Amino acid sequence: MANFFLRRLIFGLFAMFVAVSLSFFYFASKFYPLRSQPTSHAYWAWLRGIPTGHSLTRGLLNPHLLPMVGAAFGRTMALLALTLVIIVVIAIPVGCISAATRGSALDLGLRVGTYVAWAVPAFVVAIVFQQGFGRLPLGWGLGWFPGVGWAGSCPGGEGVDISTGVCPAAGHGLTHVGNVIYHLTLPALALALGFIAINARYLRNSLLDTLDAPFITVARGKGLTERAVLMRHGLRNAFVAFVPALVSDIGLIFGGALVVDYVFKLGGMGTLFLALLPYSQDGIVLVDTYALMVLFVFGAAVMITVATLGEAVVALLDPRVRLE
Amino acid sequence: MTAERALDAGVTATRPEPRRRGRGRVWRRLLHQPASVAAGVILAVLFVIGAIFPKVSHTDPQRVNLSPHWINHPPLLSGWHILGTDQVGRDVLVRSLYGLHTSEQSALLATLIASVVGIVLGSIAGYRGGWVDTLIMRLADMFGVLPAIMLLLIAYTYFYTVTVEEASLIIALYLWIPVARVVRAEMSTLREREFVQAALSLGASDRRIYFRHLLPNGMSTIIVATTTLLGQVIVLEATLEFFGIGVPSQIQPTLGNLIGDAQIGSLTNGLGWWTLVTPAGLLVLILVSVNLLGDGLAEALRPARPR
Repeated sequence: MANFFLRRLIFGLFAMFVAVSLSFFYFASKFYPLRSQPTSHAYWAWLRGIPTGHSLTRGLLNPHLLPMVGAAFGRTMALLALTLVIIVVIAIPVGCISAATRGSALDLGLRVGTYVAWAVPAFVVAIVFQQGFGRLPLGWGLGWFPGVGWAGSCPGGEGVDISTGVCPAAGHGLTHVGNVIYHLTLPALALALGFIAINARYLRNSLLDTLDAPFITVARGKGLTERAVLMRHGLRNAFVAFVPALVSDIGLIFGGALVVDYVFKLGGMGTLFLALLPYSQDGIVLVDTYALMVLFVFGAAVMITVATLGEAVVALLDPRVRLE
Repeated sequence: MTAERALDAGVTATRPEPRRRGRGRVWRRLLHQPASVAAGVILAVLFVIGAIFPKVSHTDPQRVNLSPHWINHPPLLSGWHILGTDQVGRDVLVRSLYGLHTSEQSALLATLIASVVGIVLGSIAGYRGGWVDTLIMRLADMFGVLPAIMLLLIAYTYFYTVTVEEASLIIALYLWIPVARVVRAEMSTLREREFVQAALSLGASDRRIYFRHLLPNGMSTIIVATTTLLGQVIVLEATLEFFGIGVPSQIQPTLGNLIGDAQIGSLTNGLGWWTLVTPAGLLVLILVSVNLLGDGLAEALRPARPR
């Protein structure tokens, strides 16, 4: 197993190196300021700067790369973490209720609801939540949560409290944590919705599969209550299929987090990526290739970790699976 | 049990008549699912509207109406500007239907390219195995190193501003992967089955085995994978367009860039909710229908136990 993870890690690092190098060549050859020199020279200078840390800390246009990308990374990770918590907390009861009341009107309603929720793209959910529940300068929604921005920062003046006209302070200690969660609630709910739906459906189906198994009949025969059968025997076994499915979705959720982050202007990796990305038809387009590369390294690290984690969880939960 | 079923499938596959009868069964099963029939009808209607609207209606999606009365006007639900106007007095419904046309066009083009590439590479990887398989699947793994949104937006910057064909190509060059994985898995299982082994030992050529045995037997998997792919293409295309650096909405509206415009407009100049509802509603309607049809097809082609 250790051997498997080592091979996985090496392939991941290799893939990351290839992806980052290819994108470096692309950006350096097409956009200024690196376009003014031969691409191979620029690449070599960048590569040499990696061991010394120069290439990773000082950008071409931005003076401090690590604090900039690090802050964005932290925000995206906070969004991802809260989203995962919400998915687990809501999807499990929904799946259980749906399976326990199989065939009832409630089950049918939940199945239709989860079906539609999974079909709606994350960015549409995010916009609907932002407009419907968020506080926006020109909004018409319910205004239960901040519509844009991160605790203590109001990008472009948006997110300013309409009643007081000031940007809400981030606060210290627990207040700060509370504020962050307050600002993250809508984005995390929007991002979670589709994955709650798919995972609840998945849990329902694997629960129903489990409930047909002989050992469940035995448990019922022992005289256990239906609730005990479901919780103690059904759910525990259904988790073997549910948890790996959720973990392998994290890569997708991370991709969705970039979009949701852009919609809600959270200042995470999605916002930063769009800000760094060159798009213009003008002759001279400046792009901070060094900054983009650091962003890609962070993004690739998440994707590789998640992919490896997904397979590890399968192996840990299900003794029948052997990693080779 | 599995061996029996495998043998059974092998026998039916090599005899033409049962297979033809089987196809009729699939249709009947599909037509017995009300949800799939409804989804199919909705998709067909939307497809026809999207296909012919720009041809038959003499409207211009870019026509502005700067008279103060018609700027950002709410839906009237009757007469002219039924579903409202945007910040420069352009008709929301007309723009959304043009957007439907464009999105439909690029979704079909991207699905076509991605499924052809995916089926070819997946078949080669699954049937050949060995180093070819490793090479193709490792290449597919390489695409997973960055989130799809990042990779594809980088590709968008190369073409900026993107045309519909370029956007379709970019999306297809990413979404061949799920198709290839499914097709590969199917082909490598089929290859080990008795009837293929029998054909191999009889000295049948690779071409004959592939077109006579593997492709017909893998067809249900391919059909389901392609329908799923269509949904994925539409989601990904709309998401990319939403960022506003794809096909420019001033030139060609797509459902994605219309939603993006509506969102930015609502944040910056109080653009009404109606500019959002029509394109987003069309997008969701298409996606729900495609998913329903895909699941219905999967069910009809490979019936599972009833739940």
